[in-house]
Amino acid sequence: MSGIAQKSKQGGLRIAVDIGGTFTDLAAFDESTGALHFGKALSTHGQLVNGIQDTLNGAKLDVKDTYLFLHGSTIAINTLLERNGAETALLITEGFRDIYEIGRVNRPDAYNLFFSKHEPLIRRSLRFEIPERLRADGTVHKALDEAAVRELVRSLKGRGIESVAVLCLHAYRTPAHEARVKEIVLEELPGTFVSASHELSQEYREFERVSTVAANAYVGPRVSAYLGELESHLIAAGFKGSFYAVQSTGGLFPIEHARRDCVRMLESGPAAGVIGAQAICAQMGLGEAIAFDMGGTTAKAGVISGGEPLTTGSALIGGYEKALPIQIPMIDIFEVGTGGGSIARIGEGNALRVGPQSAGSMPGPACYGRGGIEPTVTDANLILGRLDETNFLGGEMPLDKAASVSAMRTVATQVGLDETIMADGILRIAVTQMSHAVKAVTTERGLVAGNFTMVVYGGAGPLHGSAIAREIGIRRMLIPFSPGHFSAYGMLFSDLRYDYVRSLFRRLDEVSFDEVTAMYAGMEQEGRDAIAQSAVRPSEVKLSYAADMRYVGQEHAVTVDLPTDLITRQDRKAIKAEFDRVHAVRYGTSAPGEPADLVSLRLTVTGLMKKPAPRAVEEGGKTPEPAALLRTKPVYFRDAKGYVPTPVYARTKLRRGNEITGPALIEEHASTTVVQPGDHLTVDAFGNLLIAIGS
Amino acid sequence: MTTETASPAIDAITVEIIRNGLLSITEEMKTNLMRTAYNLIIYEALDFTVGLFTVKGETISIGLGLPMFIRGMAETVKAKIRHFGLENIHPNDILVTNDAYITGSHLNHFTFTQPVYHEGEIVAFACCMAHWLDVGGTLGQVTTDIFSEGIQIPIVKYQKAGVVNQDLVDIIAMNVRLPERAMGDLRAQITAVTTGERRFAELVQRYGKEAVLGSVSILMDQSEAIARANTRNIPDGVYEAESYMDDDGVEIGQRIPIKVRVEKRGDEMTIDLSDVSKQVRGFYNSGYTTGIACAQVAYKCLTTPTDYPVNDGSFRSLKVIMPMGRVISAERPFPMRVWMTFPMTVIDTIFKALSNAIPDRVIAGHHADLVFPNIHGISQKDGRLFIVGIGPLGGGWGAKKSEDGISATVCMNDGDTHNSPTEQLESKYPVLVERYALRTDSAGAGENRGGLGAEMVVQALSPFSVTTRIDRVHCKPWGLHGGLDAAGNGIGIRRDGEWETDMPNAKIFSVRVKKGDAYLMQSGGGGGFGDPLLRDPEKVAHDVREGYVSRQSAQDLYAVIVTGQGTLDTGATERLRASRRSGSDNRQNFEVIAG
Repeated sequence: MSGIAQKSKQGGLRIAVDIGGTFTDLAAFDESTGALHFGKALSTHGQLVNGIQDTLNGAKLDVKDTYLFLHGSTIAINTLLERNGAETALLITEGFRDIYEIGRVNRPDAYNLFFSKHEPLIRRSLRFEIPERLRADGTVHKALDEAAVRELVRSLKGRGIESVAVLCLHAYRTPAHEARVKEIVLEELPGTFVSASHELSQEYREFERVSTVAANAYVGPRVSAYLGELESHLIAAGFKGSFYAVQSTGGLFPIEHARRDCVRMLESGPAAGVIGAQAICAQMGLGEAIAFDMGGTTAKAGVISGGEPLTTGSALIGGYEKALPIQIPMIDIFEVGTGGGSIARIGEGNALRVGPQSAGSMPGPACYGRGGIEPTVTDANLILGRLDETNFLGGEMPLDKAASVSAMRTVATQVGLDETIMADGILRIAVTQMSHAVKAVTTERGLVAGNFTMVVYGGAGPLHGSAIAREIGIRRMLIPFSPGHFSAYGMLFSDLRYDYVRSLFRRLDEVSFDEVTAMYAGMEQEGRDAIAQSAVRPSEVKLSYAADMRYVGQEHAVTVDLPTDLITRQDRKAIKAEFDRVHAVRYGTSAPGEPADLVSLRLTVTGLMKKPAPRAVEEGGKTPEPAALLRTKPVYFRDAKGYVPTPVYARTKLRRGNEITGPALIEEHASTTVVQPGDHLTVDAFGNLLIAIGS
Repeated sequence: MTTETASPAIDAITVEIIRNGLLSITEEMKTNLMRTAYNLIIYEALDFTVGLFTVKGETISIGLGLPMFIRGMAETVKAKIRHFGLENIHPNDILVTNDAYITGSHLNHFTFTQPVYHEGEIVAFACCMAHWLDVGGTLGQVTTDIFSEGIQIPIVKYQKAGVVNQDLVDIIAMNVRLPERAMGDLRAQITAVTTGERRFAELVQRYGKEAVLGSVSILMDQSEAIARANTRNIPDGVYEAESYMDDDGVEIGQRIPIKVRVEKRGDEMTIDLSDVSKQVRGFYNSGYTTGIACAQVAYKCLTTPTDYPVNDGSFRSLKVIMPMGRVISAERPFPMRVWMTFPMTVIDTIFKALSNAIPDRVIAGHHADLVFPNIHGISQKDGRLFIVGIGPLGGGWGAKKSEDGISATVCMNDGDTHNSPTEQLESKYPVLVERYALRTDSAGAGENRGGLGAEMVVQALSPFSVTTRIDRVHCKPWGLHGGLDAAGNGIGIRRDGEWETDMPNAKIFSVRVKKGDAYLMQSGGGGGFGDPLLRDPEKVAHDVREGYVSRQSAQDLYAVIVTGQGTLDTGATERLRASRRSGSDNRQNFEVIAG
């Protein structure tokens, strides 16, 4: 692993702060002592910077001693979903101002006459057409009328426009028109946030690209101001190090880039969780893993294959029917609306449903005693003995089991069941729903889920991991240290990262390799330049080549990782064979006899950062020491046909080499791990719980 | 402590777990088909349907796809069972047909079916229909019988016990224009059905045959209960409505009547389609199963719109009277190529019939056409034939009692269908899209207005032939309860800079255009709901500011005065509305400007 050329020796602290919907999590690594620190505070809405200071104070850390401050935040996605971004204008190729509103015209809620579709972030009266047109090959069909653009931009003065998005058709081929329009806007409206589509995406698909650049312009001023404020706050507090943000790829980029390409931060928290899982896999020499994260309202799954997280070129933000597409590389994460707060109800036709309605934190599950009267997944866990009335959140928050039972009974009696069977049933239903997320990223991509280790985190993940693993046929599960702070922890392992994509549209058997090489070289140069601008200089830069390919005539392309030598050798046959292989794995079929297209080229430029050393735990015997056993309590297990006496262990008192056979519960501050009967747990050298799943 | 209830009754928990499992299977079938498919109609337009069926051919679960194929696939499975007999359908057999009179649609819909075996008996069928880009037949011309529409494959085995019938494949490949694409789509469909087969077998293995099939039966009962409850609350009575189609593309200007009769008694509904037009000479016919689907789709929209999975329980309380020989129950050899257009209007007409009975649940008329032109020509790049559909354009949907209609969204026949990105089209075909935009003033005015239609102008960069089969130019999307009609669909051709838009209909067949010429496609808006004079003037002013409604239309149709700066002139508006209401200013004198 490469070393880092620190620009000053102000301290050895690397701090990562992840702002989530409810909590702000901190993880810190002290290079001088090798110690890890964790902190947690409520996210203070509207005062995010204060929340960060609270976690620092809580963990007794000083930014003066920090050389690297890493940050992920939900501010970008919240600004998008809550629609409180900037007053934004769109400048777009003439004839196309409505494509952002027309979208892809699909109507997935097909029988619902009261369906709705996406709502643009920029209203029609602020979408302006500019005289210019490029052709698909990048040649100019109609020259850019700069005078007309300038006149248009001038007319925007005094209209309260804070931000401007620019899209020219086929700008992925030739960005000249977009770049010039951006210059004119900056000349005429200095101080305005301006975003051009090619800066974010150089791939075809104009609706997805306009949605991406509009989202960036819409969230940009707010996110940029927030990051600026945070940076000033840190500097005022004596911070002399470097400040980086986490992208949706899980990679880092310097704060000045984050303030420009804000939309890249959309999924920083979930992505960092997958990076954390990747780091643990690397420590253990595991190539194939599923990262599974479950919180209060959602469950998410991502995949690590061959040691690398699987990524996607675009994602839909918001529910499918009303989604706004964002076309940038991201870690491929599938989300379902099942979490601890998911409510169980008897609906029309006497049918039982779990979610998607969630009790959230207000009123919360019935057992929170804040007025919730409907049973949730959390209530089910309490009834079955998996959560504890007096030991929830380390005992800071007492739970009301009688309220859970009463809520559960109301629903259970409607379908002729008792509350225990119903509670168990709710968990089983939730498990089938969450299994869908895991299958979506594995079996639906041709991967055999049973070959994967499932890394489980998030406050509610370890309660359900074993059941989900059984449902899918996964044999091995790992609960990392501090699963409730895992995204912040993952950030400590992030690398500097820049992702580039260029649309090409050439047949593989006809393409000139000069063109391919030049395109890759251009992307490589951009990446090396970006990394060179970074204050922290990684000594090693890694290039990962890939191409989006399809059979000639096919529409959808598959991303194929290409070893460097296939490109330098210009080996068309080997590239084609690799595509055939990937296609067969993913879709179960391939057509080796048929020609292929190179749709787009992808290059990821990674600046490798030094990784925190694994946190070692003390060696212990095979049997946990007596102090680790907190109590024994009845816990319901369906396979055991009822409640069985179950030992409860303290996570912090478990030692390397300890082994526990289920049933058992492992309690820690923000999470409880359920070890089912038949499961066998071992504590590894780093304090991870390795669980062999029983059948 | 009890575990499973030993009684034959299956508990609510098991049913919900099985329901999740079924949804997950059809979703995975869909994903596999989409990502493997070769043609834009499958991948981007999502013109396909996947599903699971009982041993009797009843629908267990249909994945998101074509709503109008809600019946076609189940009836095709039933026909296959009848043809071979269950005892002659073996493990790893895959049955195929594209018989238009069985699927109820056109020959492009190749439908593959595989039995799911468990312990030596069939427990279900997995099935996949997808639209092939070309199946032979005449290119770009109106057809008048099925034989000119392409290759017909009766019910046969594509695969016997895992062994592919290569003779059949070779026959198909020789009869289609783009065999490599057709074979790619075929492989994608096989992937989809084998996925469905494998996953359903796993589900049965995991939970047991009784639990799975018992849950399927309970899910159907639940859907039935919801449908009945939502039928009971519709006032009893007989409701009728009518509309018409422009023509059949052969007898130009000969209107085609659509009449429907709905009878509601207690918790049952009868939809009588006997008075829908007789089958026609041009290719706008569809088969019996589509006639039934018209009634079922309308009924599902009104009674169980968000109940999933889509299954046959939803339709037990619906009776459909559908004699043979109608335009939606056509018989061999009447032509079927454009099967999808007329049924949508039948559905809208059913909503219209019920508009007084349940005004808060129906919707005003929509543009009711895919607006999906086809072009073909010889590529100057490689000298090869290209065929491509550019669309669907998306159009306006009707307003409702509670809200405005939605703009530029695909018509009733299709669900999760996507249009094609201009940047993709232009990189593959010699076209230049000059404009893709919403049509100001295309929406029907009303207290709630309809959605807006769209328009697209496509220029030829080298010569090509354009074919359109668009209807509903003349029978415009209608308003309800005093809401006004919207603009209809339309087309135009530009030659040497001159637009020609005065055409008797929107049907042109293989019209050749040269370099620099262009065609125009317009989709209609959605009809309005309620009296436009009751629309909140602020909403009208907002529509004017955003360019959805012109100032002139605001004044003419809504009696709302908006200044050149886009602000509402409250005083002038109140005066104009008062005079309109008193009749001293009759708005009938104003011409509706649309398009």
